[in-house]
Amino acid sequence: MKLTVDRNLCDGNGVCMGIAPEVFDIDDDLTLHIVDEIPDDPAIHAQVRQSVTSCPVLALTLEE
Amino acid sequence: MAGNTSKTIVVAGGSLAGHTVVAELDRRGFTGEVVWVRGPEGVAPYSRPALSKELIQGKVTPDGIRLPAQEYGLRLRIADRAVCARLDPDADRVLVTRETEAGGESSDGEWIPFDALFVCTGMRARVPQGFAGLPGVHCLRTLADAERIKERLAGRPRTVVVGAGLIGSEMAASLRSCGLPVELVVQGRLPMEPVFGAELGRFCLDRHRAHGVTTRLLTTVTGLSADGPDGPAVLTFDDGGETTADLVVLGLGAVTACDWLDGSGLDLSDGLGCDEALRTARPNIFAAGDVANWRHPLFGRRMRVEHWSNASAQARHAVESWQAGQQGREPPAFADVPYFWSDQYGLKYQMVGHARDHDEVHVETAGAGGHPFVTYFRKGRVVAAAGVNAPRAVMRMKARIQSEGMTTEGAYAT
Ligand SMILES: Cc1cc2nc3c(=O)[nH]c(=O)nc-3n(C[C@H](O)[C@H](O)[C@H](O)COP(=O)(O)OP(=O)(O)OC[C@H]3O[C@@H](n4cnc5c(N)ncnc54)[C@H](O)[C@@H]3O)c2cc1C
Ligand code: SF4
Repeated sequence: MKLTVDRNLCDGNGVCMGIAPEVFDIDDDLTLHIVDEIPDDPAIHAQVRQSVTSCPVLALTLEE
Repeated sequence: MAGNTSKTIVVAGGSLAGHTVVAELDRRGFTGEVVWVRGPEGVAPYSRPALSKELIQGKVTPDGIRLPAQEYGLRLRIADRAVCARLDPDADRVLVTRETEAGGESSDGEWIPFDALFVCTGMRARVPQGFAGLPGVHCLRTLADAERIKERLAGRPRTVVVGAGLIGSEMAASLRSCGLPVELVVQGRLPMEPVFGAELGRFCLDRHRAHGVTTRLLTTVTGLSADGPDGPAVLTFDDGGETTADLVVLGLGAVTACDWLDGSGLDLSDGLGCDEALRTARPNIFAAGDVANWRHPLFGRRMRVEHWSNASAQARHAVESWQAGQQGREPPAFADVPYFWSDQYGLKYQMVGHARDHDEVHVETAGAGGHPFVTYFRKGRVVAAAGVNAPRAVMRMKARIQSEGMTTEGAYAT
């Protein structure tokens, strides 16, 4: 799973962090951080896919 | 999902909840037919939150806010500019008719039988009678609404925003950020107070004023008319005041779009009533998104949540509930802690939980900006939290409300 964020689009609204808190973190400057290694757990993979489709500005891209 | 090939599932609604139901059915390997009735808008699903933020401010185009189109393994039939017009619950079928946003003809229709129905018809803007159809007067719910508003901006209109809930307050901020003169009509004491309470309401008011928005507090619009065919619009207020505007944006809330279920026998007292697992009184009919009224197991009360994250989470959950039923399992309860954000003047307001009936608040500061951070309590337990530019603090509270709630049945019940 390779997950990337388009920083020009991401506005740090936290939708992804609400869905997959183990994968996404947003600091107080509203900068998004993605974990280096996405845990090899089907439940977390499902959360990641859901984050990608729920991102309201379509900033996330996933290659499986 | 073996044995599904001959099944038909109808998904009503072409926005986030409907889109997510279709994607989730596909992800779970459903191989039957899905009839996706996407509603009157006639456009592919898009991000509604972006309308009052990036789109109005010209930072994205309509193409840039489309939800990602997907390749599906299931057989998908998409009906655009079409609505579910009636439900025949005893025969498990819906009447699908053609309809456009302009309220066009819904002459002939087709009855579509279903094995399961997902109701994701969301909401439409509330526009008081007499306020509709006037030049320069717009509500904001759809992409078409946003484009109509945007068309007016080039003329640098004098703008009045009526209503200071989430959309009104956000629109006032976005239009002001475009450099327009903006007046904000607040029915209550403070903008967004019913959502956030007094502390953040005061903070929000101060931000509007610091950015040069004129605010009218404790004011209700009693009349709206047009001074000529091209405007300007004339607004009269309950305090006897009057103002004119080239652009009026109505932020007066929304109503659930479930009138098409009238007479179906389903519970329509506030949206579409479901059980904890998002099933309606009919075991093969589910609801998700803004339209769904369900009993939240943590808060021990019925609610509807009109926010983005909820629509996608409920859609996934409704599919899980349907599949559980197919497999003879007990469907799980939907217990996500509500979450939303709002962007105003470059600040990110975020809230988690359900603050209704809180009996205590703690106000501190959090985040780099030192803005107010509010924690809402009921009977000594945290039920909600809200902050400005403090995503970590807000999300920590989400995790806390979720985990404390999960360990105590009806933890936050009244
Ligand atoms: C301007 C604006 C800004 C917002 N900003 C935020 C924000 O910052 N943060 C946040 O959390 N939330 C925000 N929201 C709320 C969020 O957009 C909604 O919660 C979300 O869109 C709900 O999705 P839904 O699919 O349940 O319903 P909706 O988005 O309301 O979609 C309903 C769909 O059903 C269709 N439909 C209606 N009737 C029928 C019928 N009879 N048959 C078939 N189809 C039908 C409609 O055409 C539409 O496609 C905002 C909303 C708006 C309008
Ligand atoms: S959901 Fe999208 S825009 Fe929001 S923080 Fe995550 S990547 Fe950024």
